[in-house]
Amino acid sequence: MDTIDFDGRATPEPERSGATGPALPTVTVVGSALALAACGGGSDGGGATGGSPPPPAPPPVIPLSDIQASRFLGQATMGATRSTINALVARGITGWLNDQFAMPRATTHWDWLVANGYSAATNINNEAGFDATMWRQMIVEPDQLRQRVGMALLDMLVVGIGGLNLNWKQFAMAAYVDVLLDNAFGNFRDILDKITTNAAMASFLTFLGNRKANATTGAQPDENYARELMQLFTLGLYRLNTDGTLVGGATPTETYNQLDVTGLARVFTGLVLANNTSTTPDRYRLPLVINAATNETGPSSFLNTSTTGGGMAAIKTALDTIFAHPNVPPFVSKQLIQRMVTSNPSPGYVGRVASAFADNGVGVRGDMKAVIRAILTDSEARADSMMADATFGKLREPVMRLTGWARAFNVTSPANTWPIGDTSSPSTRLGQSMGRAPSVFNFFRPGYTPPSTAISNAGLVAPEFQITNEQSVVGYVNFINALVNNGSGDAKPDYTEILTKAADSAALVDEVNVVLAAGQLSTATLSSIRAAVDSVSATATNGPTNRAKIAILLTLASPDYLTVK
Amino acid sequence: MSCFEHDQSRRAFLKRSAALGMAGVAAPFVTSLAAIGEAAAAVSSDYKALVCVFLYGGNDYANTLPPYDAASYALYQAARSNIALPRDALTATALNPANSLGGRQYALAPAMASLLPVFDAGRMAVVLNVGTLVMPTTKAQYQSNAVRLPPKLFSHNDQQSYFQASNPEGATSGWGGRIGDLFQSGNGSATLTCVNASGNAVYLTGRSAVQYAVGTGGPIALLNNAASLYSSSAAMATLKALMTGSSANILANEHARVSQRSLDTYTQLSAALAGAPAANFPSFPSGNSLADQLKIVARMISVSATLGARRQVFFVSLGGFDMHDNLATDHPRQIGLVADALKAFYDTTGAMGVADKVMTFTASDFGRTLTSNSDGADHGWGSMHFVIGGAVRGRTIYGTPPAIGSNTPDDVGQGRLLPTIAVDQYAATLANWFGVSGGDMATVLPNIGNYAPSSWNIGFV
Repeated sequence: MDTIDFDGRATPEPERSGATGPALPTVTVVGSALALAACGGGSDGGGATGGSPPPPAPPPVIPLSDIQASRFLGQATMGATRSTINALVARGITGWLNDQFAMPRATTHWDWLVANGYSAATNINNEAGFDATMWRQMIVEPDQLRQRVGMALLDMLVVGIGGLNLNWKQFAMAAYVDVLLDNAFGNFRDILDKITTNAAMASFLTFLGNRKANATTGAQPDENYARELMQLFTLGLYRLNTDGTLVGGATPTETYNQLDVTGLARVFTGLVLANNTSTTPDRYRLPLVINAATNETGPSSFLNTSTTGGGMAAIKTALDTIFAHPNVPPFVSKQLIQRMVTSNPSPGYVGRVASAFADNGVGVRGDMKAVIRAILTDSEARADSMMADATFGKLREPVMRLTGWARAFNVTSPANTWPIGDTSSPSTRLGQSMGRAPSVFNFFRPGYTPPSTAISNAGLVAPEFQITNEQSVVGYVNFINALVNNGSGDAKPDYTEILTKAADSAALVDEVNVVLAAGQLSTATLSSIRAAVDSVSATATNGPTNRAKIAILLTLASPDYLTVK
Repeated sequence: MSCFEHDQSRRAFLKRSAALGMAGVAAPFVTSLAAIGEAAAAVSSDYKALVCVFLYGGNDYANTLPPYDAASYALYQAARSNIALPRDALTATALNPANSLGGRQYALAPAMASLLPVFDAGRMAVVLNVGTLVMPTTKAQYQSNAVRLPPKLFSHNDQQSYFQASNPEGATSGWGGRIGDLFQSGNGSATLTCVNASGNAVYLTGRSAVQYAVGTGGPIALLNNAASLYSSSAAMATLKALMTGSSANILANEHARVSQRSLDTYTQLSAALAGAPAANFPSFPSGNSLADQLKIVARMISVSATLGARRQVFFVSLGGFDMHDNLATDHPRQIGLVADALKAFYDTTGAMGVADKVMTFTASDFGRTLTSNSDGADHGWGSMHFVIGGAVRGRTIYGTPPAIGSNTPDDVGQGRLLPTIAVDQYAATLANWFGVSGGDMATVLPNIGNYAPSSWNIGFV
């Protein structure tokens, strides 16, 4: 069994080059990529037996530290907890990944909505239950890797409930999120199939009922899905090298042109809901079907391919063509890295993950398990030294600040209503809410750089800064403080465990630092939080609780925590 | 922004207004006008504000400013069949500009009727076929790739960015911010030179000017201005220190800088705005997010002297214009929200006595196709835009009416308009009014040198 030595290996040295365009990361890892097939303990070889010759001594297995485990869980889950840290240390990364890959979903969003009565006729024209099921799954379900990857996919393959022109919106949206979660460990080609025939996506990107060209009226097919499928979901605008850099550098080559969009749009015509029964939401989880009367059956040309005859066969040709495009592995891989690990992965890192996307080792393209493993076990994600790199990491997505706190402190909703709600307001809540993107461009774009800052001057991007401004930074602290203090409705934290450390400020702050912040608070931050905790006597009325809440809130508000490194 | 929310709240608003009746609305309006008048004294005599109203998603030009003369209407109707507005619905909003368009006539969308009096009073101009360009471009040049074109045409995020910044997504400064660069030193608070009431937009960031985001209710207080946190004033002080403390990590450090600006500006701005309570600005409709944003802009302008501001650039926006679907029902609603908000804002600046110091203009990703896709229109290029303000040479339609239909000299496919007025020229006209000198124009608009200086001013102000 391969192991990794977190202390004794060569550290990749980031190398900067300033020649690339303003929106491109310039970090390059030139050190050799480390073999990271397995990490941590869980199988330690055993000793010699009987008369056999002694086996060669296994390399020493160095288990993950609590901080290393928490850091991994900060990238791979919706938030670390004391018990998941302990479990990961015991199991090791490889074992943990295998466990998570094998873990079935406990319940789908759809089934939970039905089981909790949201399919009652009174809900046909509202969104009741949607936020509840999203928050509940992110916070409590044990299939945490699936939840995290599913949310990364939702950040990229965007559908927002506010943009649905359907009834039973909560169910339509639940069916879409279920597609992403159900297939998070499947194949990206299947994901393309399933989002293309999903009712919510079809409504959001306006191809539900899309009609073929009409010679009499001059009407042309709706181009929305054809364009955004290529631009945002699979290819991007310019040809990419496997490492995500532009082919041709300063003189890039367009991936497609307007004629490709117009041609591809003809393929996505005639897609309609599976049936006309609107008294229940059921049709929203059935794949769309072809209505021959509005489907284009003549020849359609796009991306140097043409198809004729229409129907699902034409869609298959279109998706096969797109999936085979050399841009897909780097385009998708880089965005998943940005969602899970760092805003500015080096070309080397993107290239290693893209190679796993292109071929999982046994000739399969698009194997999400291989992609996820490559992202999370890469040296650039795992090396402790990266934490000290001034440009490494990402601003923590606001939603994950909430789920991180809620998981760390065991938030439950005894009435099972999870009344956290829509957190989109930047001035009073988080400025982000899963499944509520205002447009297909999501709350933030992978290429966003905060203009005229040290970040943009360095040629780096920082997507989450698109929803960070003078009001949101205060709105967040106000909102998260209300949660830390009282929870939301009956969704309340349980501070019993952390309160056992409340009398000892060092122990209290250290534990909060390890669990919430993966040990990333600086010495200075730790010492100022400890001093603030000690400004309240542990023996005062509510002293222990106030001390714990001070430690938690100050951690959640500190820039050290807000940056996932 | 969800169209659904607008719809719900707008209906609710109409219901409430009906229930209140006119008297209920009018009474506070009279008292508040007096209050606004007093506030106007707090505006410096050489004050100017430029207000960008961005319509995210790509506004449909053809149903915003439909052709009205019989021949043009027939071409329009033929091209978009089931999403065309009926001609008789346009009679009431047909425009009768002071200038001749050679037999062509346009109407405002019926949902924009509230702006007709502003146009007729000469305080609103229409600018035809504005769009992103690098240099003057003919159809033949477009087709043969003979001139440089804005990269990533027809892509939302990139054309939004190109309109705002003369560069696609990833641009690091916009022309509103670059104008701010030139004027921030003359303001009491440099931070309040470029103010965004709708979040973040590259438009408002300069090379040195930084945009400041304000909430629709003004700046937000940290923990309600509490003096202590969990019974500790020391913990409250630590909270502020941590939020704003510097870090080695570039992302953490930038976050702290934003927090620092927020906490630094809060006290000054909230104190100033306390003298201009929202209740004094009753013209703005409720349930209209654009109106909410323009209301805080009006409130900020009313206290500009208190803040020492002489030149400010504001940004507001409304989403929901990407109407590939349901255009016939959704577009009147969205463009009606825009018209109602702009009318309220113009009236308010009038009541404040500063209408001639405030210039409001529209912007969008791009126009849309003229051709229908059965129930909507797809991504286009050129589009008309509106400019409103006391200094506008209004009741005039600027630019050349584009030919209507497919395969015309102005069409690059399905009625996508090849722009005849560059965003740079539109912007230069606004910047010139604001006080940007000809010598500084290329600093603000890097491509303006590609146009003859005589064409830098479209003439609408």
